[in-house]
Amino acid sequence: MLTPRIRRRRPTTSRLARLAAAAAVVAMVLSVSPPAQASGRLVPIVGIGSTWSANAISTWARNVQAQNIQVEYEAAGSTQGRVQFREGKAHFGVSEIPYGMRDIFNGTDSKGSRQSAYMPIVAGGTAFMYNLKIGGRRVTNLRLSGDVLAKIFTGVIRKWNDPAIRADNPGLTLPSRSIVPVVRQDGSGTTAQFTLWMSKQHPQVWDAYCAKFNKPAPCGITSIFPRRAGDGTVGANGSDGVSGYVRQENAEGAITYVEYSYAINAKFPVVKVLNAGGYYVEPTADNVAVALTRARINTNKSSDDYLTQILDDVYGSADPRTYPLSSYSYMIIPTKLEYNLTTDAGFTLSQFSYYFLCEGQRQAEVLGYSPLPINLVKAGMEQVQKIPGHGTVDIAAKLRTCNNPTVSPDGGNALAKNAPQPSPCDRRGNTQSSAGTAGARQDTPVLPAARCTGTGAPAGGGNTGGGNTGGGSTGGGNTGGNTGGGATGGGTPSGGATGGTGTPGATPTAGAPGLPGVPDGGTAPQVDPDTGEVVAAGGAGVAGGEQVAAVPVALDGEGGWRLRHTTMLLAALLLVVLIVGPPLVSQALANRRRDDHRGDR
Amino acid sequence: MTVVVTPSDAPAAGAPADAPRRVRQRRTPTDLVFRGVIRFGGIVVLLIMLLVGIFLTLRAVPALRTMGWRFLTAQEWDPVGGNFGVAGVLIGTLLIAAVAIVIAVPLATGTALYIAEYAPRRIAPMLVNLVDLMAAVPSVVYGIWGLYLLQPHLLVVGEQGEGLPRWLATYLGWFPLFRVDGYDPRDPLGSNSALTSSTFIAGIIVAMMVTPIISSVMREVFSQAPVGEREGAFALGATRWGMIRSVVLPFGRGGMIGGTMLGLGRALGETIGVYLVISFVFVIQPHILQSGGGSISSLIALRYAESNPIGIAGLMAAGLVLFGMTLLVNFGAGLIINRSRSGAASDA
Repeated sequence: MLTPRIRRRRPTTSRLARLAAAAAVVAMVLSVSPPAQASGRLVPIVGIGSTWSANAISTWARNVQAQNIQVEYEAAGSTQGRVQFREGKAHFGVSEIPYGMRDIFNGTDSKGSRQSAYMPIVAGGTAFMYNLKIGGRRVTNLRLSGDVLAKIFTGVIRKWNDPAIRADNPGLTLPSRSIVPVVRQDGSGTTAQFTLWMSKQHPQVWDAYCAKFNKPAPCGITSIFPRRAGDGTVGANGSDGVSGYVRQENAEGAITYVEYSYAINAKFPVVKVLNAGGYYVEPTADNVAVALTRARINTNKSSDDYLTQILDDVYGSADPRTYPLSSYSYMIIPTKLEYNLTTDAGFTLSQFSYYFLCEGQRQAEVLGYSPLPINLVKAGMEQVQKIPGHGTVDIAAKLRTCNNPTVSPDGGNALAKNAPQPSPCDRRGNTQSSAGTAGARQDTPVLPAARCTGTGAPAGGGNTGGGNTGGGSTGGGNTGGNTGGGATGGGTPSGGATGGTGTPGATPTAGAPGLPGVPDGGTAPQVDPDTGEVVAAGGAGVAGGEQVAAVPVALDGEGGWRLRHTTMLLAALLLVVLIVGPPLVSQALANRRRDDHRGDR
Repeated sequence: MTVVVTPSDAPAAGAPADAPRRVRQRRTPTDLVFRGVIRFGGIVVLLIMLLVGIFLTLRAVPALRTMGWRFLTAQEWDPVGGNFGVAGVLIGTLLIAAVAIVIAVPLATGTALYIAEYAPRRIAPMLVNLVDLMAAVPSVVYGIWGLYLLQPHLLVVGEQGEGLPRWLATYLGWFPLFRVDGYDPRDPLGSNSALTSSTFIAGIIVAMMVTPIISSVMREVFSQAPVGEREGAFALGATRWGMIRSVVLPFGRGGMIGGTMLGLGRALGETIGVYLVISFVFVIQPHILQSGGGSISSLIALRYAESNPIGIAGLMAAGLVLFGMTLLVNFGAGLIINRSRSGAASDA
C-alpha cells in the first residue's frame, strides 16, 4: 500500500532503496512512539464483564459508532469479565470489584499474569427493585431499612406484612404475601457489592445465613449468592435476568438487587433504603454522588489496586441524602502489549475511554447512573495513558470542555453540593411519602394516618420533587409525626393546600393499631368491621384529588374436597358414559344378535 | 467398488482337493485411496472421542480425588468447601430430557406423519423446509423465547399464574411428580414464583429444540415404507389411518426409536436454553412443576467462570459424567435400532 506512493514520487530510485524506504515507513508505523504518533487506526474492540454498568457502556458504545469506534461489549457478569480479561479473551474487562477479593464461597481469584490497571467508569446505586401490589394497585413508595433488607435476602423475613416491614412503611397496609427474593446465580459484581454491604453493616444476619452453608463466621464478600433449595429464593442470570424475572406479572412479591437503571428501564419502582441519617432515600444520581463523597479511594499510584474503592464510610454516612449502597464501577484496562493486544486496539480503547470519561458522564444521570466526580475523571484519563498505543490528548484542556455535571467553579463536587435534601416525609417516623420511585413515578396512596403534609409543597401528599426545595429543615408535619408515637391523626389537609402545619393527632390508641384517633380536621376514618383495619377515609379527609388506599383483606380459603368437586367428577363421568356408552351398547347388542342368528342356523 | 477376483493357480497335485481356494483381491488404486480416507475418518472420530474422554478424566482428577464416589451422590455444589456432587443436576438432566421427550415425540410423530402421508403434495416440501428451519434456530433464541414469552405469557400467566403448570399442580398434585411444595392454588396471595423456572418449563423449551430432529428422522423413514404393502393394505380395504397403523408405523418403528434416541441425546446435552430459564438447585428435585432444577451442561455454563482450580475440576468431572451418560444412551440406542431394523416388522 505504501510502496506505490513512494514509487510515484521517486521513479528513478533503485529497487533496493525503495524497499528500504518502505521498510522504514512500516517500521515507523509499527513502532510505539506515543508522543509523536498521536493517531492510530481504529479497529473493533471487545469488552466483557459487569451487567451492573452494562446499560451505560452499551449506550456509550452506540454513541461512539458515529466516530467509527466499534466497541462490542458482552454483559456476562463481573466474574466473567475478570476471568476473560485475565485470559486475554477481551481488550478490556469491567468489574465491580478488583481482583483478589477473598471469597469464601468461590475462592479468591488472582490477577493472573496479564498486566492491567483499574479505571473508574461510572458511579451508581445498587437498587432493590420489587413487584408488589396492594389491592391490585402497584406499590411505588416502599421503604426498607438495611436490617430488613438483609433479613429478606437471607430468608429471615418471609412475608410482606412482617412487623419489621410495616414499621418501615406506616402508610401501607401490606398484604400477607410471601416475599420471593430473586438473586443472581451467576458470578456477579452486584452480588459482591450487596454481600459486601451486608457483611459490613449487618454481619450477624449475614454470618448466620452463611453458617447454613457451613462457612465460618466472618463471611464477607461473595460473587455468587449462596442459595439452598426450599428457601423460596429464585435464581436468575445477569441483571437482565433478575429484573426481567421481577417484572413478570406472575412474580408478584418478588424483590431483587440490581442497578438503578434496570428498574428505570423496566418501569418498576425501587426500595427507598434507610441511611444512617435517618432518611429513606432513592439511588438517584444526586444521592449516589453525595454518598460517594465519603468513598475512600486508593491513591497510592504504585499499588496494584490504585483507584479502587473502600466503601465503609459510604455505608455509615450520616448525610441525610446518602444512598448507602452506592459504588463505582471499574474498567480493567491492559497496560502491556500482550495477549493479542495491538497498538491499534489500545488506541481505539483509549479513544473510547476519553469519550465516556468526558462526554459520556453527562448521560449518566439520564441512564440511571451517577457521573464520576472530576477528580476521578482526571485520574481515569491518567490511567488511559498506561494503555499501549493510547492516543494523547491534553488532559487539562479536555477536562475543561467536558461539561461534567459534577464540576463547580470552586472545585468541589457540584452534584453532591447541590443535591436536594430528602423530603421530610421520607424521614424515619410515622409519615410516609406517597411519591413513586425509579421507573414508576405514579403516587401510591398512603393511609390517612401516615399522610405527610409538612413539606411546604403544594398538596398532593408530599411529593419528593417539590419537597426538595424546602432547604432541608424539617417541616411541621414531620415533627408532628414524630411526637405522636403511634398512629397520629394525619394533619388537616381539608383544602389540600394548607400544608405546613401537621397537627399532632389525638392520642393514639395503643394496642389497637388499626384504630387511630379521630383527626382534628377530617372525619373519622371508616373501620372495616371484619378486619379492624382502616378503610380509606372518605369524605372531607380525602381532598384535593388524593387517591384512596385500598386495604387487602385476608379470608380463609376453602380447603379439601367439597360438594362442588364431587358434582364436577360426576358430571365428567356422565359425559364419558354418554359419549362412549351408546356405541358400546349397540355393538354389544349387534354381536349378540349375530350370535343368535348363528345359533338359529 | 469394483473388486477383481482372480482365482489363484490351479491346486498343485497332492494337495487336498476340497481345500478352499485362496481368494486374492486386487484392489484398484482408487479403491485403496477411498478405503484409506474412509478408514482414516472413522479412526479420527474414535480418536477424538477418546481424547475428549481422556482430557475430561485428566482434568477431573483433582475433583474425583477429593470426592471419590461421593461425587455421584452429593447434593451440593461447594467446591471451595470441599463438598460437591452431581446427584441433583444428574437427576435434573434426566428429568428435563424426559419432559422434553414426552412432549416432543408425539408432536414429532404427528408432524412427520402429516408431512409424509397427509399433506397435499404442493405444500409438503414447504413444510419440510419449515421443520428443518426450526432445527436451524439457535438454542439461545429458544431460551429467550421461553424466558420472555413462554413462561410469563403462556404458562404462568398473570397474578394468579394461570396456565398448564397451575392446572396440573391443582388437580394432579397428589401425584408426587406434579406436587409443588409450599404452593396452594387456592391462596390468592400465594406466590406463583413456585411455578416458574421449573424443570417442566425448561423441558418444554428443550422439546421445541429436539422436535425437528426427531421429526425429520421419522419423516424420512415413514416415506420409505414400501409402496407395495401400502397398496396391499388399501386393496384390503384399509382406511388411510388403517394403512398407517398396519404398514407405515411398523415399518418405521426402528426409525422412530432412532430419532427419539437422537433427540434424547441432544436433550441431555442442551445447555443455554436450560441455563436461561432454570433457577438452579443442587438437591434432587423430583417435582417437575416446582421452581428449581438444573442440568449438568447448564451447570458447566453457569459456573465455568469460577476461578478456583478445584471448581473447574469439579465441572470437568460433571462433564465426564454427562459424557459417559450420553455414550450409554447412544450405545443403547444403537442396540435397539440394530435389533429392530426398519421394515423388519412389516416383512413378517
